[in-house]
Amino acid sequence: MSSCFRRIFAVAGNTFLEAVRQKVFAVLLLFGLVMVVGANYFTEFSFQEQFKFLKDLGYAAISLTGLLVGLLGAAQLIPGEIERRTILTALSRPLRRWEFVVGKYFGLTSLLAVMVGIMALAVWGVLKWKEVQLLGSEGTDPAVVAAIRAESMDPRLIQAVLLVGVKLAVVAALAVFFSTIATSTTFVIAMTLVVYLIGHLQSVAREQWLETGEAAGWGVRIFLAAVALLIPDFNLYNLIDEIVAGNAVAWRTTIEVIGYSAVYTSILLAAAALAFEGRDI
Amino acid sequence: MGGAIGLLLIWGGAKVPWEKEMTREQRKATYGFSGPTAVAIREKVGQGLALAALGGFRGLAANALMLQAHGAWEEQQWMRVRSSLELATVLQPRVAVFWDTASWHLAWNAAVAAEKYGGEPNETRRRIEARRWVEAGRDLLERGTKAVPEKAILFQRLGDLYWQRLGDYQAAADCYRLALAKGDAPPYLERFVGYALDKAGDSRGALEYFRGLRKTMGNPPDPARRPEVVEREILRLEKKLDEGKIGASQ
Repeated sequence: MSSCFRRIFAVAGNTFLEAVRQKVFAVLLLFGLVMVVGANYFTEFSFQEQFKFLKDLGYAAISLTGLLVGLLGAAQLIPGEIERRTILTALSRPLRRWEFVVGKYFGLTSLLAVMVGIMALAVWGVLKWKEVQLLGSEGTDPAVVAAIRAESMDPRLIQAVLLVGVKLAVVAALAVFFSTIATSTTFVIAMTLVVYLIGHLQSVAREQWLETGEAAGWGVRIFLAAVALLIPDFNLYNLIDEIVAGNAVAWRTTIEVIGYSAVYTSILLAAAALAFEGRDI
Repeated sequence: MGGAIGLLLIWGGAKVPWEKEMTREQRKATYGFSGPTAVAIREKVGQGLALAALGGFRGLAANALMLQAHGAWEEQQWMRVRSSLELATVLQPRVAVFWDTASWHLAWNAAVAAEKYGGEPNETRRRIEARRWVEAGRDLLERGTKAVPEKAILFQRLGDLYWQRLGDYQAAADCYRLALAKGDAPPYLERFVGYALDKAGDSRGALEYFRGLRKTMGNPPDPARRPEVVEREILRLEKKLDEGKIGASQ
């Protein structure tokens, strides 16, 4: 068992280092950081709006950068290894195919975790910077000072970062699944992006499928069922909007979404391993 | 490949009831009801915004609309201001500050601009137009109080609008009471119910209210609740009512 973990960690570590060495990820990280810092220059609004803009742009920057890193990283995971023939060397060693897939996924998610961590720290820094600016300009009324501090150091932002992180982990698992059946990097990127977009409409399809009954034709019902059954519901992560709006979100709800993401990721990785087992390389 | 699809389908069968339950719980916690909410968004947003809404970047799209409204406000393009603000509130109905800003633009800025519009020489028409903007602002705030019912701010703003823009002090007092029931209202707002009742001509009701308020402050009272102001109001209203009685008996 321990040698199995060792092999997975070896693949994960190698994937992580390989990804870190690629300039494209550094450029994406820089792009995300510029987005976060640039958000600090919306100054013509009330301080509540300024904080909302900052948080929205901060989380959008984390999501967008993470999505691009996940897509580009996963696209190169297996198709890239097959193209370069390096996969033959890797699999000729005592390494099972599922261990290879899981190791690749952990390497990619480690990279995502590092990026999300760096960018979350940048968002936190910009919020503090905005707090200092606003405390200097909005006067010393204790109620205003307390409101500014509450906006900038809202502990619920940790929930938002966690939700962004687990959403990206599910997207990365999807990308890994597609990379095990794909022959080209374009296919992986396109399919993951399509599923990501449809995932934000999955709840609508699911409700239509469960509630239309006999009203819709067979073709429509099969399509809606396929969307509901095969695609994750990314609207569940819209709790981030609630947190940015300053509304209370129970930790229980957040943990449930994290649990859903963990189970979904495990199933996707199992499906990816099954698909990769039967694949000719 | 068949095994992978089979596994995903079996998991799909298990996850659908779980997702349904989580969605129901989240909607109940967020909107107070569990019905579909995406329909309203799909009907009202354009293609580009719909894509943003799909991609989970709804907050960004709403912020872009607020920036657009800000630009239109600087150019005094009031219809553009209104449409951008309404769309922003449709995209993110749970953001109280959007409803607040939107109603302020319509009921104050647009209405004052309509009152002073040089292109319309007829004062009555200008006033009717201004009133329409105030009503539009009130409509937005009333929708906002339904979208974010747990916070005091929009009820307080609605009270301000009734007071300052419509001169309906009784309605203002009712809104301030609703705001105070939410628990996050600023401490000074508790006095505004009494002021509004007095302005509405219900001085006896105002006196009763201030007396009740003073009792709730306890002994010694919390200085942050300004008991001296409440006591001053009680004395003023008692004097006013006594003078009224004397005047009536003479």
